[in-house]
Amino acid sequence: MEVFKQKFIEEATEQINDLEQALLQLDQNKEDLETIESIFRVMHSLKGGSAMFGFEKIDRFTHILENIYESIRSGEAKVTSDILDLTFQAVDHLRKLLDETPESEKLLEKENNKFIERIQKALDDKAVPEHTSLQDEKTEGKVKTYFVRFVPDEDIMHNGTNPLYLLEDLANLGNILIVPNVDNIPSFEKINPEKTYTSWNIFLSTNAGINAIVDVFIFVDDEARIETHKISDYNLLELEAVRNILKETLHKKPEIKPADIQELIIDLESVYHDKEVEDIQPDTRKKVEHSISSIRVGADKLDNLINWVSELVTIQAQLSLYSRENNNPGLAPIVEEIEKISRRLRDDVFSIRLIPIANMVTRFQRLVRELSNELGKEVLFETKGTETELDKNMIEMLIDPIMHIIRNSLDHGIEINAAGRTAAGKKPKGTITLNSYYSGTNVYIQIIDDGRGLDPQAIKQKAVEKGLIEEDAELTEKEAYDLIFSSGFSTAKEVTNVSGRGVGMDVVKRKIAELRGEVEMTSEKGKGTTVTIKLPLTLSIIDGLLVRIEKTKFVIPLSAVHKIYEFTHTEIEEAINNLFLADEKRVPFIYLRKVFNIEGAPPEIERIVNVEYQDTFMGLTVDEIIGEYQAVLKPLGQMYKGIDIISGATILGDGTVALVLDPNRVIFEFANNENLKV
Amino acid sequence: MGKKILIVDDSESIREVVSFTLENAGHEVQKAIDGDDALKYLDGAAYDLIITDLHMPNKNGIELIREVRKLDTYKFIPILFLTTESQTTKKKEAKEAGATGWIVKPFVPEKLLAAINKVVR
Repeated sequence: MEVFKQKFIEEATEQINDLEQALLQLDQNKEDLETIESIFRVMHSLKGGSAMFGFEKIDRFTHILENIYESIRSGEAKVTSDILDLTFQAVDHLRKLLDETPESEKLLEKENNKFIERIQKALDDKAVPEHTSLQDEKTEGKVKTYFVRFVPDEDIMHNGTNPLYLLEDLANLGNILIVPNVDNIPSFEKINPEKTYTSWNIFLSTNAGINAIVDVFIFVDDEARIETHKISDYNLLELEAVRNILKETLHKKPEIKPADIQELIIDLESVYHDKEVEDIQPDTRKKVEHSISSIRVGADKLDNLINWVSELVTIQAQLSLYSRENNNPGLAPIVEEIEKISRRLRDDVFSIRLIPIANMVTRFQRLVRELSNELGKEVLFETKGTETELDKNMIEMLIDPIMHIIRNSLDHGIEINAAGRTAAGKKPKGTITLNSYYSGTNVYIQIIDDGRGLDPQAIKQKAVEKGLIEEDAELTEKEAYDLIFSSGFSTAKEVTNVSGRGVGMDVVKRKIAELRGEVEMTSEKGKGTTVTIKLPLTLSIIDGLLVRIEKTKFVIPLSAVHKIYEFTHTEIEEAINNLFLADEKRVPFIYLRKVFNIEGAPPEIERIVNVEYQDTFMGLTVDEIIGEYQAVLKPLGQMYKGIDIISGATILGDGTVALVLDPNRVIFEFANNENLKV
Repeated sequence: MGKKILIVDDSESIREVVSFTLENAGHEVQKAIDGDDALKYLDGAAYDLIITDLHMPNKNGIELIREVRKLDTYKFIPILFLTTESQTTKKKEAKEAGATGWIVKPFVPEKLLAAINKVVR
């Protein structure tokens, strides 16, 4: 059970996240039936699961919460902001309940009851269906005799019911006498084997109570006529003689009325005595012990694992090279297999740590929702590229700084009144966008607002007041923006309780620097502000294309490679404006031999690798394409920090070094550079 | 004797706990995540029993039951659905769609096996 419980916790965590997500959607469109349906479904399965795995508080809590959404779903109630607020708080409460420990149990119990009370109020004292527990009804203890008439519909078997099983179940309850009524069976030629023609009259002596008998037929009560009557307080079926009398009566008069049976047995009854029967059937429900077990692995262990995998990939590359050079037919398939396995191992090991940015987005959405309400501003929160993956630790450490940036954007960036926005030619509703994307070996996260933008003059003045700079200091715009990240800086005239929570942008910068990242602000007055966070990918292995110019080898990340073309050197030399023809489209190319000052005579035929980054294409000329290559990326070190277009180096199978190009930077740096022609 | 049983539920924990219970009781279990998935498993196979949740994305339990009943092979096969006590209307709908019976959530293993024992032997 403990294993399932753990699974439930994982699943419930996901479900609660989904719930939150759906609620945010509902907030946008309160009539969206599909969203309401999905919210209901999540609550329902949370309820079901929590009851199964012993989360009794969640069970009780979601039961009531579910009722709200049930009445919304059925059109009886409408989604209001109050209900939404309550549900949002409920989501937080659910998370707490899921994390329950023996220590927090008492407190949570209190909170839970309070919450349930609040929800019940919200329901306007609407009757909540009684919540049933697992407890069995009390058995009656004394053996009594019942008469049961069971007349199934002809089509009862069409629902998968086997009537004989029901008779067996009845027989298991005690002493039984079953007399079938076969009068309705047609002649053999007319029999339809799919139909049921028999009905049954049954005497049953049992101590299980009448409810147990009704329960036997619980699945078929609308597909059969079932009459159940207690006819005696005694165990009538004990004596063979009495059994025979009853049997005969039923054979003769299958349609006999229960009242007539009762008359018949009054005389028989006197023979019997009371008998006390012990109450068996103990409470079967076991209390599930509450203890959460999860595997936590130290980050250093994961780092070690990643290191070893990196080593393995390097060795495997050497092996592949050796195999190719020696052309050993026995070795080749094995090497291929190892290559496949190590690739999967690599992906799996890295995926342990990587999670998509989408995981933290919900928190920002809520922040925007709550804060914009608080500040009385209408703000839309948009996301782009949330599938971008980052190290889990990194994401966790990023939440606070990004929260802070968003808070700033909302508080200082977005205009206070919509009129001011309309006057500036903007939509009345402000927008904050979270944009993330990969570039080379970096991940970029941008927080973009379309608010009033930064005023370099105001920043400068403030900095002077704070004594951060001299009054006559000459600052570029960028330098002015950078001041925002110095400690003790706050542009708001008064510190509001929103942005001024004791941390400034300097803390944001420090936090991001701890992640080996950089943060930068750009802004246009009146148009908005963009905060860009640049982070290194912890991924130290990339899939690349190995190419060669003279003796120097380069790796181009495969994700950026669009297509490869072949041209003669003369064609390249004579190209007008450094453009080459890539499938009927003219694309600029860079003559890498020149960029890297590689000496020697170019070969007669050269290749152009067409790389793409965010819809921009650029050709890179090389001598030869060697093939695909998994590159274990090593940083170049402090000395080469200024070289942007190279993101690192890798050691090839034969021990030589290849440089890894960053196509994004290449495109950026050379897009307008005239000096790169042949 | 063990039966071949198909479990349909979008909740992994429920699927796991049901299949664990059934496998311990000697049954052979196949797990499907929703109605559409279930139909894939049913195609060309011969299950003795289907246990399905009602609330599922894609194809829900009721829709599944309706479609299963249209299949010749599964006209008489018992189908149980998982439900909670509060859903009386759903219960009716599922029965009308062709379900044999139901299992009330939450359940303990004994209850689950008892419900199954009602419809397959």
